Amino acid sequence: MSVAIPEGARVVFGRPELLVDRTSSYCPGCGHGVVHRLIAEVLGDLGLGPRTIAVAPVGCAVFAYDYLGLDFVEAPHGRAPAVATGIRRVRPDAFVLTYQGDGDLAAIGTGEIVHAAGRGEHLTAVFVNNGIYGMTGGQMAPTTLLGQRTTSSPHGRDAAFHGYPIPITEMLAVLPGVAYAARGSVADSASIGRTKQYLRRACEVQLEGRGFAIVEVISNCPVGWGMTPQESIERLKEVVAQVYRPGVIVDRTREPAAAGGPGGAASTDAAGRAPAGR
Amino acid sequence: MTTRQAPAPSDAGRTARPGPRHHGRRVLMKGNEAMAEAAIRAGCDAYFGYPITPQAELLEWMARRMPEEGRPFVQAESELGAINMALGAAATGARVLVSSSSPGISLMAEAMSYMAASEVPVVLINVMRGGPGLGSIGPSQSDYFQATKGHGHGDYRVPVLAPASISEAMALTADAFELAERYRTPVMIITDGILGQAMEPVELTFREPPRVDAPWATTGAAGRPPRVVRSLHLEPEDLEKHNLHLQAKFAAIADREVRYAGEHLDDADLVIVAYGTAARVARTAVARARSSGLRAGLFRPITLWPFPSDALRQLAAFVRGILVVELSAGQMVEDVRLAVEGRVPVVFTGRTGGMVPTPGEVVAGLRRPWTTTPELPREAAR
Amino acid sequence: MIAVAEPALDDLSLGGAADPAGAGRAAAAPFQPVLIDVDRCKGCALCVAACPKGILALDDSRVNVLGYHPVRITNPDACTSDAHCARVCPDCVLTILARPKPPREAPA
Repeated sequence: MSVAIPEGARVVFGRPELLVDRTSSYCPGCGHGVVHRLIAEVLGDLGLGPRTIAVAPVGCAVFAYDYLGLDFVEAPHGRAPAVATGIRRVRPDAFVLTYQGDGDLAAIGTGEIVHAAGRGEHLTAVFVNNGIYGMTGGQMAPTTLLGQRTTSSPHGRDAAFHGYPIPITEMLAVLPGVAYAARGSVADSASIGRTKQYLRRACEVQLEGRGFAIVEVISNCPVGWGMTPQESIERLKEVVAQVYRPGVIVDRTREPAAAGGPGGAASTDAAGRAPAGR
Repeated sequence: MTTRQAPAPSDAGRTARPGPRHHGRRVLMKGNEAMAEAAIRAGCDAYFGYPITPQAELLEWMARRMPEEGRPFVQAESELGAINMALGAAATGARVLVSSSSPGISLMAEAMSYMAASEVPVVLINVMRGGPGLGSIGPSQSDYFQATKGHGHGDYRVPVLAPASISEAMALTADAFELAERYRTPVMIITDGILGQAMEPVELTFREPPRVDAPWATTGAAGRPPRVVRSLHLEPEDLEKHNLHLQAKFAAIADREVRYAGEHLDDADLVIVAYGTAARVARTAVARARSSGLRAGLFRPITLWPFPSDALRQLAAFVRGILVVELSAGQMVEDVRLAVEGRVPVVFTGRTGGMVPTPGEVVAGLRRPWTTTPELPREAAR
Repeated sequence: MIAVAEPALDDLSLGGAADPAGAGRAAAAPFQPVLIDVDRCKGCALCVAACPKGILALDDSRVNVLGYHPVRITNPDACTSDAHCARVCPDCVLTILARPKPPREAPA
């Protein structure tokens, strides 16, 4: 660290240990930096660093393994939930985390995320949704909003031509194997605090063996959106959060009998639903 | 040995189930199931697959047996899912098997490139079927190019093993794990619908290759610096260095791991080159040809990569013709031609689309007039 | 050519500031609640917007090694160590210290 902390000073906020002390390649103001830090904080708080095997995506966060001090496997584009499933199945005592962007998870990876969630794999999925393909230069994503201009929707997303944005987390939340699904935001300090709580809960869900947990974090992409960082935060709050609304989407761990996942609690019907009334 | 040409109806689970008391006895086993059991006894830690004909029996055998052994089995959502699960599991140092058939292997191509680049050991079994496209469920060898030269992108090679009997397939399954872990590479075993679905008497003798240390495996960074299993090397200098490292590995494999078998080569002046099921047809053809006075022999590659080029080149000096037989439109024949470097005529005969050449068709190929090519006088071929 | 900024002393840990009153006592160095890792800052200014006291600003007079105007704290005394700035920073540039309690007066 390039700051010297005076002796005896009480640190209220500092770089968490699992966040590698180096300058990231993320653009100024990019929410990935915040989400990386929250993961480092939560895993550090829970003592999970030594047990974690994380899966990195293809996208801006392909470099996640340079910034988080964890074992990482680099997955092909979209395949992180399948790669994580393989890790999970052969390493019952590992803590397995995936980190994906919106193209990785909701476009090319739709099959893998739906089925990992459907199987109720004991995984914690982090989904950073900034509504754009950042790494490849700002193209339209499945979660790009109507009217939003991108390099591949230069006149703005048009429902008739491009279709509608996909509420992938709400879709996943329908599946009984999903024990917990929440959406956070990096728009301001309070939202970031709540996002940290969602991430923590999603990790606890895995530790408790309750099933699949996913935290979507709506985030900004100043360069892709053609805005200053401050403008992009305003858009996140005023526009994006009105469509992809933060909050807990489903929490089946509060239900009397969780559906669980493979190896989880039995007493479910053929579709994996807990019988009514339980 | 003749082939039982009529494949048995699918009866997974009703064939003799080898348990400990069967060890060393001979039982009738279906190819797909025998390979699956061989993998389990070879210490396969996890299996990931997806149903596709003609290898579904392998998946089904694993579905029943792996949970019995307390090991993970996943029928994935697709071959894409299966191969990527294998990538993840193998990255932690587990011994992993995936099986599929031609169109499914096409889907796995991307991950194979990643596995080769990240140096992750995985064994894949391709039970080849008629192609291209959805094709047919009949047996074929039309994935030779895919296995030895194709699948994913980039500069890499994958060892490819081609058994010609169910017993050999079982032995090569254990060998494949060993090769994969010794060299940190994916390894492919290619069979076909006949070898997959036929039943043959096999001896229930299995081998579990010893485990190799995996200091690269991602197992959780307790008490050590974090490890990353990756294939991204953005700086061209770094990526070239990595590629040269991979090439050195492939050169070592090519140097040490070539396998082939020969029959009647001592006095042959016409040689059939064939692998897998084609080799079994060729064996019958050689027997018939010899009984009618032709001095025919069989050269059977067992590793399709590394291809036994040196042995073929040497053999070419002693024969007047090579007939290549494949269940395809002719793929390995190109490697045979490359190996013999024009010394001797190389001719192809085969059937494709799920059809199987008959011994008669192969003998007819042997009986063709074997003239040398105009560019190469006969004397120079000796 | 980008000017390489020297780290300014007032952004780092406590220096040995002279006692302004010149009373000869060992002076209490001014407390810095916000330590800034100047060369990690990308000048995104999200912290500037997040600070409820409005006491952060980009320093237009200097450029760090990354080529950005780094943030500086304009009025450390008004800082309550609420850490909102640090929470919104994507690059962990800001380390927040709690203001030490003032020493008790010795009983007369």
